[in-house]
This record gives sequence, C-alpha cells and structure tokens, in this order.
Amino acid sequence: MVALLGAMTLVLVAVAPWVLPVAAGGKNLKSYQKVEVDIIDDNFILQWNRSDESLRSVTFSFDYQKSGTDNWIKLPGCQNITSTKCNFSSVKLNVYEEIKLRIRAEKENTSSWYEVDPFTPYNKAQIGPPEVHLEAEDKAIMINISPPGTKNSVMWALDGSGFRYSLVIWKNSSSGEEEIENIYSIHKIYKLLPETTYCLKVKAALPMAWKVGIYGPVYCIKTTVENKLPPPENIQVSVQNESYVLKWDYAYANVTFQVQWLHAFLKRNPVNHSYKWKQMPNCENVKTTQCVFPQNIFPKGIYFLRVQASDGNNTSFWSEEIKFDTEIQAFLLPPVLKVRSTSDSLHIYIGAPEQSGSKPVNQDYPLTYEIIFWENTSNAERKIFKEKTDFIVPNLKPLTVYCVKARAHTMDEKWNKSSAFGDVVFVKTKPGNASNIWLIAGIGTVSITILAVIYVVKVLLRCINYVFFPSLKPSSNIDEYFSEQPLKNLLLSTSEEQIEKCFIIENISTIATVEETNQTDEDHKKYSSQNCQDSGNYSNEDESESKTSEELQQDFV
Amino acid sequence: MSTKPDMIQKCLWLEFLVGLFIAGTLSLDCNLLNVHLRRVTWRNLRLLSMSNSFPIECLRENVAFELPQEFLQYTQPMKRDMRKAFHEMSLQAFNIFSQHTFKSTWKEKHLKQIQIGLDQQAEYLNQCLEEGENENEIMKEMKVDEMKPSEARVPHPSNLELRRYFNRIDNFLKEKKYSDCAWEIVRVEIRRCLYYFYKFAALLRSK
Repeated sequence: MVALLGAMTLVLVAVAPWVLPVAAGGKNLKSYQKVEVDIIDDNFILQWNRSDESLRSVTFSFDYQKSGTDNWIKLPGCQNITSTKCNFSSVKLNVYEEIKLRIRAEKENTSSWYEVDPFTPYNKAQIGPPEVHLEAEDKAIMINISPPGTKNSVMWALDGSGFRYSLVIWKNSSSGEEEIENIYSIHKIYKLLPETTYCLKVKAALPMAWKVGIYGPVYCIKTTVENKLPPPENIQVSVQNESYVLKWDYAYANVTFQVQWLHAFLKRNPVNHSYKWKQMPNCENVKTTQCVFPQNIFPKGIYFLRVQASDGNNTSFWSEEIKFDTEIQAFLLPPVLKVRSTSDSLHIYIGAPEQSGSKPVNQDYPLTYEIIFWENTSNAERKIFKEKTDFIVPNLKPLTVYCVKARAHTMDEKWNKSSAFGDVVFVKTKPGNASNIWLIAGIGTVSITILAVIYVVKVLLRCINYVFFPSLKPSSNIDEYFSEQPLKNLLLSTSEEQIEKCFIIENISTIATVEETNQTDEDHKKYSSQNCQDSGNYSNEDESESKTSEELQQDFV
Repeated sequence: MSTKPDMIQKCLWLEFLVGLFIAGTLSLDCNLLNVHLRRVTWRNLRLLSMSNSFPIECLRENVAFELPQEFLQYTQPMKRDMRKAFHEMSLQAFNIFSQHTFKSTWKEKHLKQIQIGLDQQAEYLNQCLEEGENENEIMKEMKVDEMKPSEARVPHPSNLELRRYFNRIDNFLKEKKYSDCAWEIVRVEIRRCLYYFYKFAALLRSK
C-alpha cells in the first residue's frame, strides 16, 4: 500500500511540471487565436491577434517545418517579436510544397507552441502590382509592363510567360473609364485624342492559376501634338502564288513606306534587348500601298507586322500591328483537277497539290471545294460546292468544250481562308451519236447473251431430263416380240439393281417360252428369282474371292 | 460555408451543360487547329532532337526529374485536363527556353525556332480550351468573381504536379549554373515530356 502510494506520488510529481504549464499555457493559447498568413509576391506577412492586452511582456517566435520532415526550423526575421506582425521573404522555400508554421508565445520562461494550418505558399500567394512604363504618341500610348515581383522572384519563377494584364484608362479631364483586358506586357492603345492627358492603372493576373493581382499606382501621360502624316491603316495579308502580299490604305500620295516585322512570342516574355522590330527587306521605301515578299523570308510561325509612311521630311507613327500566322493564313494551295468526260457529264477528281518539302498536309484539313465551270463559247459560269474529291457533274451538252477551275476553302468560320484558283482545265464532252451507237451495240450484245443463255439452259435441261427422267420407249426390235404389259412390268422392276441384272439375263434366255403360256408367268418369275439366287450362290465363290481381294486390299490399306 | 459545395456543384453542372453546347460549335474551329497543333508539336520534337549527339561527359550529371506519372498514361478519360496540362507545359517549357543565360551548344537559330514553336503550341491550345478554361474566359470570370464577397468565391486550387516537375528542372539549371551539360540534360528532358504530350495531340485526331 505504501509502495503504491509512493509510486503514485512519484508519478504525480513527474507529471506535474508538464501539466501545470499546459494549464498556464492554456491561457496563452487563448491569447492569440488567428494567425493570418498573407503572401504578396515573395513577401510573407504574418499577423495575429492578441486577445489579452495585459500580456505585454509576451514575445512571439515562429518556426516552420517542410512537409515530409520532422524538424522545425527557426524562421529568420520572426524571432522574439513584441508586436503582432512579422514579415519575411521566401527563404529557400520550395513554394510548391506544403509548409507548416508554428507560433510560440514566451512569457517569463514559459512557452507553448500553436500550430498554424499547413498551406502551400504558391496557392496562397497573391500577385502584387506591376511596374509600368509609358510612351506617348499623338493618337496612341505605348505601355511597357514589367512582371510583378523582383527579377529573381522565387514565387513567380515559372510564371514569367504566363502573366496577363488588365488596365483601366480614363481621360484626366472627364469621367468615363475604359477597361482593357488580357493584354501582354507590351501593348499599344490606339484611337486616342492628341494633346490629352490620360491616366491608367494596371493589374497583373495569372489566368492558368486563377490568380488576380491588385492594381498598381496610377500613371498619367499626355499625348503629343498631332503628327503631319497619319499612320497607314487597314493592313491585310494575303497569299498569291507562293508569296505574301501585304496591302494597306493610305490617304496621301507621294509617300514611301517601310514595313517591319516581329516574332509574336517576344510579347509573352519580353526582355528589352531582344524585343526588336526588324526591317522587311523587300519592302523598304516602297511607293505603292502594297508590298510582296516571298514565303521563305522567315520560318514558319506567328508574326506581327507594322507599316510606316514617310515623305522625306516627316515620318508617321507606326500603324496598328497585325498578327499573322504563316501556318493558318497561307497554307491553302490550289487543288489539282483531273477531268474525264462522257457525252453528257464530267467526272471530276480533285487531288492534293504537290507541296515542296513538307509533308502533304492538305488531306488532313476539312476542306470544301468550289468548282466553277462554263462552256468555252459562253460566259455563263456555274458554281458548285463539294466536300468529296470525286464526283460527277451531270446534264451537260455533248460535243462541247467546257472549262473547269477549282479552289479550296476551309470549313472554318473563324479562319475563312481560301486558296487561289487552280489552273483551268479544258475538256470536251463526247458526242451524243456515238453514245447512241454504243447503246445499240450494248443492247445487241445483251440480247445475244440472253439468247445464248437460254440455249445453254435448254441443253442442260435436256441432259437432266435424259439422265433423271428418261423416256420409257423401248427399242423397236423388242417391241415386235413383246406385249406391252408384261414387258413393262419386267422393265419397271429394273429399279432394283442386283436383281435387275438377274432378271434381264434370265428373261432373255426364256423369251421364247413366255409367250406360250400366261400361267407360267409366275413360275418364270420364280424361276428367275430362283435363278437369281442360284446365280447368287454361284457367284458366292466369286464374291468370296472378291471379298478376299477386298480384305487383302483392306489389309494393305 | 455549407452552401459552398452546393454552389460548386451547381456551377460545375452549369459549366458542364454549357460546355457540351459549346463543344459542338467549337469542334469545327478546333478540328483545323488540332491539325496545326499536331504539326507544330511534331516540328518542335524534331527541333529538340536536332543536335549533336549527347556529350558523354554529361552523362555523369544526369538526374531523374520524375515526370508526373499521370501523363505517362495518356489514355486518360478527361481530354480537357490533358489539354490544360499541355497548355501549361508549353508555357513552362517556353519559359525555360526564354532564359537568356542559354549558351549555345545549340545554335541560336534553333533556340529561336523552338521558342516560336512553343508559343504557337500554347496559342493553338488556348484557342481550343473549352468554356471556362480559355485564358480570355478565365480573365472575365475572375472579374466577375472579384465582385462577389470572398465567401462566395469558388476556390480553384491549381494542379501543382506539373509545376513541381518544372521547378525541379529550373532548380537543376540554377544549381549547375546554367552549364552546357545542364542545358543538354534539360533539352533531353523537355523533349521526353513533349513526346508524351505529342501522343495526346495525335489522339485528338479521333475527336
């Protein structure tokens, strides 16, 4: 009993130091409930409440633990703090891994830990305000946005090319805002008024991570005086015979133009020294409002083009940039036609054009073909649309020359592109008379074949009749000697094989005697049957011989 | 808080129905883009393979980057998820090749072409992402989301597996101080990754 008591007190004494501070720490636990973690770019901001204001001598410290590890690491910059706020920047953290934080309140050498819910820093991070640089023209403003965070940002290390921006722009003098969304880092706002002050604010977003940032500060800039020469307008690219044709509109005469191009991907992740527009070699100082350049001038990809006018003394600002994808806009080559003619129709085969170099891709695309044909003598064109590459155009006149040309269209609504017309094919329909002759000849051959078939069938039927249903007329010699009935009986019974043989033999030998007495019919039958049996017996030896030979054969087999 | 999952369910249902409707009209557009996508992806694969053979001295430094397993089984039922992942992968790979510390063991011309190609891939994939997944759509939706009180907002935790994979590649490059060998290894790894997604792009033909 005493030993038990002693053991119990020992246990109590051992446990007490653990229990008491917990009880004491319970009060401390309650003194800070919510730890809020805010992450903006690379800055972690920790905030917590202290419910019990009297506990001013409490200091707080933070530790963090990476997921999968067991040790707690001291968080630099957040040790022994008296206030309720603490900043630290993402130390060598992996922002895509979960971390756990714990906060400790220390008061007079007693402390206890409170763990914050684990979180993944990247998921909690918010996008900070981006930096903006503006440049003004007369009717446009060029914006250059730097991605949020520092250059060596850990949080957005993988997102450099994923940022998209939105901005709100308004005139300083009046109200009324315009919002422009989903733009790249380098963007130009067109159709503004000259000599007006515009203000704007920009925010960044990461659409693929469903994050939107906060607006940055407001920037204002004034547009310049209106330029003497306006920029070219309505720029379009089309394809003609293995080269691109760039066309634009311009109101004034006596100006020369130049064209520049840019890789489209540079807009995703522009670094100033590589974001450079390049001169288009075939289009320097052209006098017409169009410019032709060959297809191999740059590799396949997506590009931007812009045009500028100049009259010697003054130059205009750059026109609006157009986006141009060499894959999508220039791929359709005109199809190749093969036409065969009959007297009143044309059989048309549409083939893929021969492409130099790359794989023949046209058969992959869903295409609609437009076929135009007309009689050589008239101008009336007829147009048909087909999706198949093999079809017949009926109801044409015989012995006329028809001209056929075709082009391909994509079945897309968005990229409504078509190829140029292919070469015109001239084909003459066959004469109608000729077809009539062919018709007669055809009918003739058909009828002959029918007759031949009938003849063959007849012969066959005869054979069949002969074999299976032979006629029952005996030869004329036998007719003389026999009355019909008994002979018929005899002959009919020839259906039984072995016995048939017997009967015939027997009957022939007794021919003369039968006529005399009818009575002897039965007898002679019996006789014949008996004889058959006899002959059967007779031939037993033969049979047995044959049997043995059979057996022998079987043995060999 | 209890209404959140209900709201999510309702939203998902609505998205699904709208998505079905849109999918019908989008498919015509996207048939053509899928063809372009396949061609561009194939070209990128060839670009990444086009170089001198892998230098033997770099074999020592080779590291396993652990491509996330789910992409190895590309017979996934959710083609939409694969498309999203492909889009993200294209952007991440583009980001890596845009780092200007790339010293040319690989010609400047090839580097530019691969950047063009990856940009095109991302562009085509973005156009054909379905309702709610397209970048433009998301920007609009986020704007609408912002107006709602914070409790009503639908959370969208992003899929971090792919990001972790690219983070490993990025850290490897930084650790090795962008050495030539490191770049060679990374080039081979990205080619491997792109190959799996190319198989997916080939499957899109059946759509």
